[in-house]
Amino acid sequence: MLLEVKNIDVYYGMVQVLWGISFNVEKGELVTIVGSNGAGKTRTLLTIAGMKKPRSGRIIFNGKEINGLQPHQVAKKGISLVPEGRRLFPNLTVKENLLMGAYIKKAREKRDETLKEVFELFPRLEERKNQVARTLSGGEAQMLAIARGLMSRPLLLMLDEPSLGLAPKLVSEVFRSIEKLKKVGTTILLVEQNVAKGLEIADRGYVLENGRIVLQGEGKELLVNEKVRKAYLAI
Amino acid sequence: MDIDKLKPLVVFVVVLCFLPPILGFNNYYVLIVTYILFYAVVVSAWNIIGGFAGQLDLGAGAYVGLGCYAMGTLLIKWNVTPWIGIIASGIVSVFFAAVIGYAAFRFGLKEVWYALATIASVVVLQKFFLVWEEVGGPAERYLPVKYGSIYYLRFATYTPYYYILLALLAISIFINIWVRESKLGFDLLAVRENEEAAEMLGVDARMSKLKALMIYSFLTGVAGALYALIAGYIHPSQFDNSISLEVAVLGIVGGLGSIYSPPASVFILHTLSEYLRSTIGAWIPGVHLIFYGVVLMVTLIFIPEGLSSLFKKLSLKYKPSKREIG
Repeated sequence: MLLEVKNIDVYYGMVQVLWGISFNVEKGELVTIVGSNGAGKTRTLLTIAGMKKPRSGRIIFNGKEINGLQPHQVAKKGISLVPEGRRLFPNLTVKENLLMGAYIKKAREKRDETLKEVFELFPRLEERKNQVARTLSGGEAQMLAIARGLMSRPLLLMLDEPSLGLAPKLVSEVFRSIEKLKKVGTTILLVEQNVAKGLEIADRGYVLENGRIVLQGEGKELLVNEKVRKAYLAI
Repeated sequence: MDIDKLKPLVVFVVVLCFLPPILGFNNYYVLIVTYILFYAVVVSAWNIIGGFAGQLDLGAGAYVGLGCYAMGTLLIKWNVTPWIGIIASGIVSVFFAAVIGYAAFRFGLKEVWYALATIASVVVLQKFFLVWEEVGGPAERYLPVKYGSIYYLRFATYTPYYYILLALLAISIFINIWVRESKLGFDLLAVRENEEAAEMLGVDARMSKLKALMIYSFLTGVAGALYALIAGYIHPSQFDNSISLEVAVLGIVGGLGSIYSPPASVFILHTLSEYLRSTIGAWIPGVHLIFYGVVLMVTLIFIPEGLSSLFKKLSLKYKPSKREIG
């Protein structure tokens, strides 16, 4: 098992926001966590990435416990988070942003090779490689954020709401690239508000409600689940 | 390191070497340019934490004060030569900065909160030294009058201090260049651009900010020791938060992250400020500050990126453009 989250409780100040969350991701899998706004999806990812500390529970990655590590240490272990809102370096060019992605030592050695692979996956970015990141369109910026996440050659890529704030056509484009990534063997943990699209491409899914996991199962299975259809798909 | 990068530094220093002779070694004028150099050193050091790392640090007054007291106390109480005292000042400042910085960065103090924490440290230290009787308490303690002594670093004129501070400015600018070229410089650039993103990519943001803070506080502590040598005494008023503010303002007006503009703008703005003080200020005391304030405001309204962008535009007019990061 690549990532195993066991029973984590996370607080926001005095308020508990995640209650005994447990889930796992196998190597090569695409796992999606869906849920409405404020359900705790983003916080779950931030906790794995070391930006937030769980008060109890364990996070095991690649056989080693990683809770309590600082974000840069988690990054070195091979987890790459593509955060909500992209968080690009606005004044650097597309290429410079990508090179920053290969910051950790292990990735730096293979930087040029990875860059070539990433440009193959996202040809648009190669066309715009000398453009300053802040001038990219929303869709391109999201592609760049994902591509930058790949530059560290992560064992696990975590995507936080990649479809947020994008036009429907671009949303499909983003999901197509996520599927492409899965095909080349990337392990992905995806967090989405777009329940239908998120579950459609997932091997397995978890439904998060008010900080608790209420449902889990195969992606396609969840899509036809009565509760999911009622609560999230409005059918 | 690229030797070409050091050429402007050499020119800068050589030109400044001729300033005291040009001023005819007039003690008053030399004192003014010596104080300007003092500020130039601190602003240039501040550029590492304020400009490169993007942290609005207002702790300069604390490090200047600690520098004054470390050197001064060693000299007055134990007759330790200021040559050692100056280094000790830097080290004491670094220790204090490490404590403040570790706590601030550990608990994620940023932006205005970091600024408030650092300026509070100046006030706290001042009160602390006011009641610490062993080092003088509220009384002024005078440094031994041993004019003309290299051992005591005490001189009857200000010219030697001018050259010592000039050497320190050269060191400070050199460290700026070195940091900018080093891995630390790139880490700080990433932290300044987007701290969270930098951390997620594997940059140890906390550690790089702490390193920047320690380099800055060392240089500022050393400058503080020289400040006390020039003044000839130590007193808690040397923990001065107006120094903190002035340094940050000059650093911002000079242009964050640029290496030569912050110290250069100290020369321009301080000369102007001294000129206003001796003319309008002599007419109605205090009025010169209003004019100085207006000049700063107008500068920031019309050139918000600081004087560095103005210098860059001017230099671009005369040579082909060259893109640089930051």
